[in-house]
Amino acid sequence: MKFQTTDPAANPTAILYKRCTIDLRSGDMSFADIPCRNLEDVLGGFGRSFQDLAEREIENAYCEENPLIVNTGLLTGSSVMTGMRTYFSGYSPIKGSKAGLPAAMWSTGSGRFGAKFKWTGLDELIFENRSEKPVYVVITETDAGPQVALKPAEHLFGLSTHDKIMALQKGYADAHFAVIGQAGENWQNNYMGAVALSTENQLKEHEDKSRFAGRGGMGSLMGYKNILALVAQSSDKFKPLSEAIKQVNLNVIKGGGSARIQPLSRGGGGGTWAAYDVLQEFHAVPVNNFRPQGNDIPEQLFRENVEKEYNIKSQACYRCGITCHNNISEKNADGSKGEFLAKFDYEPLNLFSTNIGIHDAGQAARLIQLGDNYGMDAISLGVTISYALSYNERHPEKTILNGATFGDYEKIRELIIQAGEGTLPEIGQGSMRLSQRLNETSYAYHVKGLEIAAYQPETNPGYIWAIAGGHMSMGTYGLLTREGKSDLESWVRGITEDKLHIVGFDMIGLCKFFDITKGIGTQMVVDCLKSELDLDVSTDDIRAAVRRAFLRGLALELRQGYTKAEFCLPAEVSENPNQNIKLPNITSREFIEKLEKRVWEIFEPELEGLFD
Amino acid sequence: MVVNVKLVGLFQTGRFKQKDREYPAGIKVQDVINELKLPQQHFGIVLVNGVHADIDTVLTEGDHLVIMPIVDGG
Ligand code: SF4
Repeated sequence: MKFQTTDPAANPTAILYKRCTIDLRSGDMSFADIPCRNLEDVLGGFGRSFQDLAEREIENAYCEENPLIVNTGLLTGSSVMTGMRTYFSGYSPIKGSKAGLPAAMWSTGSGRFGAKFKWTGLDELIFENRSEKPVYVVITETDAGPQVALKPAEHLFGLSTHDKIMALQKGYADAHFAVIGQAGENWQNNYMGAVALSTENQLKEHEDKSRFAGRGGMGSLMGYKNILALVAQSSDKFKPLSEAIKQVNLNVIKGGGSARIQPLSRGGGGGTWAAYDVLQEFHAVPVNNFRPQGNDIPEQLFRENVEKEYNIKSQACYRCGITCHNNISEKNADGSKGEFLAKFDYEPLNLFSTNIGIHDAGQAARLIQLGDNYGMDAISLGVTISYALSYNERHPEKTILNGATFGDYEKIRELIIQAGEGTLPEIGQGSMRLSQRLNETSYAYHVKGLEIAAYQPETNPGYIWAIAGGHMSMGTYGLLTREGKSDLESWVRGITEDKLHIVGFDMIGLCKFFDITKGIGTQMVVDCLKSELDLDVSTDDIRAAVRRAFLRGLALELRQGYTKAEFCLPAEVSENPNQNIKLPNITSREFIEKLEKRVWEIFEPELEGLFD
Repeated sequence: MVVNVKLVGLFQTGRFKQKDREYPAGIKVQDVINELKLPQQHFGIVLVNGVHADIDTVLTEGDHLVIMPIVDGG
């Protein structure tokens, strides 16, 4: 980026980002330094890409006019802890309105690709049209600036995410990789393709330890465009740590923000896995397609129980002190680490274990690993499978697919393989389409076409206004369980004020664990921007930019044909309230109706004129 | 007075899962946290008799106290 001002809020056009646009049909490419329109553009990520997506009217995700935008955030590649994020944006094949229009979507992941990409000198890559043949894209740092080349990728076709990365690693030193798996290659029948991002541990240990930009099928969009991989090749460009950044990084590690994510061995909470213990106290761990049974069955996946039989090691992305990856491996007879299996983050762990009736950690790990290697979004895949299992439980006389039921490891494994290989569109196209086809939509756990995360909707009506799925684009998931808030005022305030700010992390290039409760409108971020980039920006300016970006996302949903009736939780939640959940009921029809009225009253006036 | 204390997740390590414990009348949740030396940075949720409470809540005879670490997305 080029900075010709120190005041990005007042003079955004004096900050320029380098964009490369590639026409995949002709192979033509152009580079440009683009002046930022506003602070959202400066911050980057979806704050920028959604403004570009809003300029296009797209009716089908798989059309040549739908771009795939790859970009970074202002602090990607900086010395600020967690500054590793890459963003993939486009109109989504999986998330869409009932009018049949695709929703704008972004997806993000860590690993080291984002920093390497930024260090090539490029800030954004836009892919137009589609390539006739499979290609991979190499972005290289040169003395004359970033260079981009398209290369034939037939040799990569059919390989898993991990195998693609291993194959590319042989040819590119000092590089990191963003790849799709077979799921993305089979985009016609699989709308939930993810993009796998290589990690330092993966390249060194040759184990499948990618991070994933999973949500919204951006890997399928990449597959449609016939791009199998991106290679970012550059030297490392960490600035020496300033005192200010040292202090911020220390705060991130020692402060409240990430304490629970740190490894137990360092006095931390052991990662997101710890959510199991807490949610179980409320009988709110998703079981058998989001129907907790009020028993102790989820306890089998408590860390203390898994640790007895498996080796668990905390690892991190390069130079990140948060160390949020809980990697689970087989345990040898002598107690040493055996074969690596998978990462145990709360989401995939729950959705591939307790929520599909699997209570064996090893089996869950194998299923997670399988889905990761095919390159599918763990949330969409897990939830679509749990829907199918639930259907079969309800219709034992006329089951669908292979007749799999909760806990049937072998048959569930078969479903994942078939979905990954593109032979099972019923699963690959997600729970909304499957449930509509079967005419049983009430227990399909998606909101606006995107499967929900492993937090019971009964605990989070905020899902309704999440603009990029699940809890990570609307931070209200702890309002009831953690804060005990069950009154309307708290929920209106949470959704329309504080908790929407979680999306700021998907602009600036940092992980949410940097400061998950406060977002990016903080003195810590202000200090980082000053120290790293000599930018003077206030917390108020940042918060205003994040809010505008969020509202733009909401406005785009409405423009893509969502009716207000589609802003809703799965019907089962209010039609058949789960009495086992030991929390106040905040998802009754009455409560939700009041909440909807109040929230829209606040948001609607602000949506007007956003695209003028 | 007797309070039934349940610890969740990492708070159990080196302590206990659930126990009846003897406390003087008028004790607050914070006093129990201090007595058990629970790491403050992980302190998240308190339930007294199944209802969310805070560290200043005064406990009474026979209360059931649950202390949980923070849970925060991911
Ligand atoms: S918080 Fe986790 S995912 Fe984010 S950079 Fe650190 S180790 Fe990687």
